[in-house]
Amino acid sequence: MTSLEIQAPEAGVPARWKIPPQLLLIGPGIIFIIVTLLLPLLAVVVFSFWKTESYELFMDWNLENYWVLFREPAYRVFLVRSALGALATSFICLVYAWPVAYFIARHGGRYRLLLVLLLAAPFFTGVILRIAALQGILGPGGLINMALGMVGLQPIEALMYTPVAATLGHVYLFMPFMVTAIYLSLVNFDFALLETAKINGAGPLRAFVEVTWPLNWIGTAIGLILVFIPCLASAVTPRFLGGPKSTSFGMSLSQQFGETGTWALGSAMSVVLFVVSCAIVLLMGFTINPRRSGFTGGRR
Amino acid sequence: MGEGPVSLSLRGISKRFGQVKAVDGIDLSVGQDEFLSLLGPSGSGKTTLLRIIAGLELPDRGTVVVGGQDVTRQPPYRRKIGMVFQNFLLFPHKTVAENIIFPLRMQRASREECVERLGWALNLLKLKGLEARYPNQLSGGQQQRVSLARGLISRPTLLLLDEPLANLDRELRAEMEVEIRRYQKELRIPFIYVTHNQEEALTMSDRIAVMRNGVFEQIAPRVEVYQKPATAFVASFVGQSNHLLGKVMQCAAGQLVIDWKGRELTVPCNETLGAGEAVRFMIKHEDVQLRAMGRASRDQAAFNRLKGKLRDIIFKGQTANFILEIDNGCELIASGSLRDTDVRAGDSVLVEWPQTAGVCFRDKP
Repeated sequence: MTSLEIQAPEAGVPARWKIPPQLLLIGPGIIFIIVTLLLPLLAVVVFSFWKTESYELFMDWNLENYWVLFREPAYRVFLVRSALGALATSFICLVYAWPVAYFIARHGGRYRLLLVLLLAAPFFTGVILRIAALQGILGPGGLINMALGMVGLQPIEALMYTPVAATLGHVYLFMPFMVTAIYLSLVNFDFALLETAKINGAGPLRAFVEVTWPLNWIGTAIGLILVFIPCLASAVTPRFLGGPKSTSFGMSLSQQFGETGTWALGSAMSVVLFVVSCAIVLLMGFTINPRRSGFTGGRR
Repeated sequence: MGEGPVSLSLRGISKRFGQVKAVDGIDLSVGQDEFLSLLGPSGSGKTTLLRIIAGLELPDRGTVVVGGQDVTRQPPYRRKIGMVFQNFLLFPHKTVAENIIFPLRMQRASREECVERLGWALNLLKLKGLEARYPNQLSGGQQQRVSLARGLISRPTLLLLDEPLANLDRELRAEMEVEIRRYQKELRIPFIYVTHNQEEALTMSDRIAVMRNGVFEQIAPRVEVYQKPATAFVASFVGQSNHLLGKVMQCAAGQLVIDWKGRELTVPCNETLGAGEAVRFMIKHEDVQLRAMGRASRDQAAFNRLKGKLRDIIFKGQTANFILEIDNGCELIASGSLRDTDVRAGDSVLVEWPQTAGVCFRDKP
């Protein structure tokens, strides 16, 4: 330290006050991550091994919460239901988002930016409001079924407070993430490679499978994660749109912190959810071969 | 026109982009073992023409016939054409071997054939040992070789090359020029080579088509394009020329006497021009010769002779450019070997060239 003081006495600032500039840049990020992510996560993990009695947490180390989750079939049903719902939502978003993103990236021309900004339009209002609006469209007295009734047709039962309605809600909510992820991948994709594939004998479908899809897989995988993970944890949408048969893991989880006041059990559920989410991310990670992703690092 | 059957023929190809006529009524035939260069400045329509041949652009009018088949409305993947690009366009997620056999796989060739052809291509392009690498692990020259291998592996009817050497450094370019010509001669596949670099075109081609504003200014064997340019544009685009602006004094069969800033020159000309018309006479730097004043001259008649001063010598390696100040105040450049001359900067010199050298055209404003 003394040698440092001798080496850097200039600028009138005592050397020991000097903070390395790298730390100034990275510091706020580190603090943010610690306060908003690591600490709550740590708290949840700790709480999950505690106990709640009449709405109070007690420090009493045990595995009872996990045992409950394992023993009670209801929680497994909730988890599987959420996972299946998230899977269906991701798949629908994938199939729907690819052509949209492709169109914007390829043919958007000077309207590209505008079209992408339109994807953000739903975020101008809150989630609850949008879900309520969706309820107004899908519900029994909603736009679709009312219109059907006016022409003398039967209402579509599947749209009224069913898992299908909940999935539709999820698709609607998370579609922008999927489109944006794929779009961002496609704008960095060199479409000339597609021409090259065609000259070398690949028809449109073959060229897509051989070139476009593998070179945009990372973006697509990110989109899938961005849709799957929040969908897995979703609580509000199934509550508003899903009806009695759609109780999701997330809904049950939020109840533990609310109505039932069983924080410890809720924490254990959170940990399970977190572990499952991490597993999904890892699983997606294994599908990515950095060599074959087209992300070549030191490209010309 | 090369010997043998015609591999490609274009009839009346036109293409507009908005108001711009990119390609304007092109007719072209390319023989089976011919190396044809499309030479022109950027924006001349040469790349558009190449893309039309490849099927990447649809022509507004005209027909494209490849290997005897009308492919005008066929998509690129049915044309059996190979193409090599300036920026290589290798598939970054495939290895060298996978890149090269891509066209064969698309044709559903058997495994054995793929392996055999891959060996052939790796051998031909000296890529042995690089099969498992990815494109980003290769140098520019290696990438271009892989790109060539991919273009050639399926024995295309035609190979199109779009400025393939423009991204390579000078030394490598010279080496690849020779090699590309060798492949063409060995494989007997017609190559159509787009370039804006006249040296490349002159080194490699059998014939050169000089293109400007969507039309061919001249299409002829390379030596003819160099020595007998058909238009003033070709004359100025190919080779390094002095431009002499003058007025016609006298017009005889195949010869003009012109007045160039007070000096009388006899120049060859194929056009019939009236006295007083403005003309542009172009003579290549290497056709202009100089001698120290007072040296015994050769036979008197068939030379244009001017008096001048050598202002500077610009050394270029193999040759040097001699900057000459002619006694009418104009400047000419002669090029030649430094070895053959004993003149120095500042010397008075005699500048001369044969009266049959150079070309003269009516000067259009």
